[in-house]
Amino acid sequence: MLLRFLAEQDPGELVDGLTALGRGVVYGGAAIGPGIGIGLVVGNAITAMARQPEAAGMVRTTMFLGIAFTEALALFGFVLAFILS
Amino acid sequence: MTAPLGLEFPPISHLIRWPDLLFEDTPYAINKTTIIYFLAVLITLTFFFVAGRRAQLVPRGVQNMAESSVEFVREGIIMQTIGPDGLRYLPFLLTMFFFIFFINIFEIIPLFQFPGNARMAVPFILAILVWFIYNIVGIAKQGPLGYLKSSTIPPGVPKPMLPLIALIEFVSTFLVRPFSLAVRLFANMLAGHLILVTFAVLSAALWGKNISLVILPFPFLLLIALTGFELLVAFLQAFIFTILTAVYIGLSMHPEH
Amino acid sequence: MRMRTLFASFGLGLLVAIAAPGVAGAGESGGEEPTEEPDIDHASEECIHLLEDGGEIDDCQEAPSPILPEANEIIWGGIAFLILLGILWKYALPGVQNMMKQREDRIRGDLERAEQAKTEGEGVLAEYQRQLADARNEAGRIIEEARQSADQLKRDLTARAEAEAAQIRERASQDVQLATERATTDLQSRMAELSIELAEKVVERSLDRDTQLALIESYISDLGNGRRG
Repeated sequence: MLLRFLAEQDPGELVDGLTALGRGVVYGGAAIGPGIGIGLVVGNAITAMARQPEAAGMVRTTMFLGIAFTEALALFGFVLAFILS
Repeated sequence: MTAPLGLEFPPISHLIRWPDLLFEDTPYAINKTTIIYFLAVLITLTFFFVAGRRAQLVPRGVQNMAESSVEFVREGIIMQTIGPDGLRYLPFLLTMFFFIFFINIFEIIPLFQFPGNARMAVPFILAILVWFIYNIVGIAKQGPLGYLKSSTIPPGVPKPMLPLIALIEFVSTFLVRPFSLAVRLFANMLAGHLILVTFAVLSAALWGKNISLVILPFPFLLLIALTGFELLVAFLQAFIFTILTAVYIGLSMHPEH
Repeated sequence: MRMRTLFASFGLGLLVAIAAPGVAGAGESGGEEPTEEPDIDHASEECIHLLEDGGEIDDCQEAPSPILPEANEIIWGGIAFLILLGILWKYALPGVQNMMKQREDRIRGDLERAEQAKTEGEGVLAEYQRQLADARNEAGRIIEEARQSADQLKRDLTARAEAEAAQIRERASQDVQLATERATTDLQSRMAELSIELAEKVVERSLDRDTQLALIESYISDLGNGRRG
């Protein structure tokens, strides 16, 4: 039934719709891992800062670096979603 | 693109591509993005000249801000990543930081409302420049072969894994680094811009509806909050771009032992 | 120096990048006719270009990828960055850094001077304390010396007094002895004289026994009355 529905559609619109779906899937999928990763990075950074408040400045810098590296993966997905067309 | 609510979301290209204002259709065309670049240059120069012209022994106002920013780049970025011998990169990193920051900050400046770095141009050229700098520094400091070895072969890798690891490290050092550097800045600013546009469009659309005055505060307040957040992002992305540049230069100067 | 060369070559590359499309564009624009409609918007203008380049009408729907950088933005962005870098490096930063350096030097100088003053002060204090201790020692020494000399004096005086006393006593006893001897000698010679005198008298008056006795008795009583010389 789904297949028949799809077959009845205009091919151009079908492609557009599937592309939009694909973009959503790409970005959604790409965001999962970095989401977990950033959570881990920040959580551990907070633990470190709580344990050694005197090293908070250094930990914060390193934390931002870690976030930047992790976040880059999600951003690749974001960019890829735009590249898909 | 007309949604049931009558919500018209403009296509992406209308949000980030601006019509040429001068020298249309030539490679020197000037549009809103390039004007933002010029303004970033002007603002930075004004900032530093005002700070340097009325320089007093006891700093206050602009001078204080300029000096603490120099101090920030020197102590917070260079000393922590490269070390004292990286101080000669201070002008470069400082320029980079302010250029990116002021281009970013136009995202939330009224009437402009567009981060110049949501276009790939500046992230792209800066990433290329950084790529050249850290490679040249690495080759100059360690010799071509030494640099290739230190950047592709991490210490303590078991022999059978070596080709694979070396390949991955090579790709990561020479291809992914500049790409991720540029994409990180670009995509962050683009995403921030899109989010702000989304909520602005939402607020504007809801404004015209009577019933929606009840829920108007939600997107509008969120828009305000996100504007504040984008200020943080604008700073953070400039900082991250600069510190990653410093980290790459530092890695080329002092390879891990 | 190397960094400056790098930036210079980067600028040169940018210049080439500007020049090349400029020349190409000039070549194109020579053959191109000016468009008739002046009031078309940007998007349709792009569409017209696309159609002229042999694209299809569908291409107009697709916006150029938002990812790809555009030549004009790269060129102006690069120029802007290099200008900013150059001016900041050459003119703006030295002012700020000089001031920071000056202040740093000043603060360091002040601190050093304060440190120096502190050291000096401590030195002076130590000097004074040393002098004070010296003076106190000196005073103690003087007192001690005085006491010693006083003791010495006392002892000397005592010794001399004792010696004198002994001498005096010695002389006195000698005197006494001398006097005694002289007295004895006197007494003896006096006794002899008196005896002779007595004998003369006895011989002079060889009278009766009673008269002799009376005579003797009177003589003795005379004697007892201190007629002794």
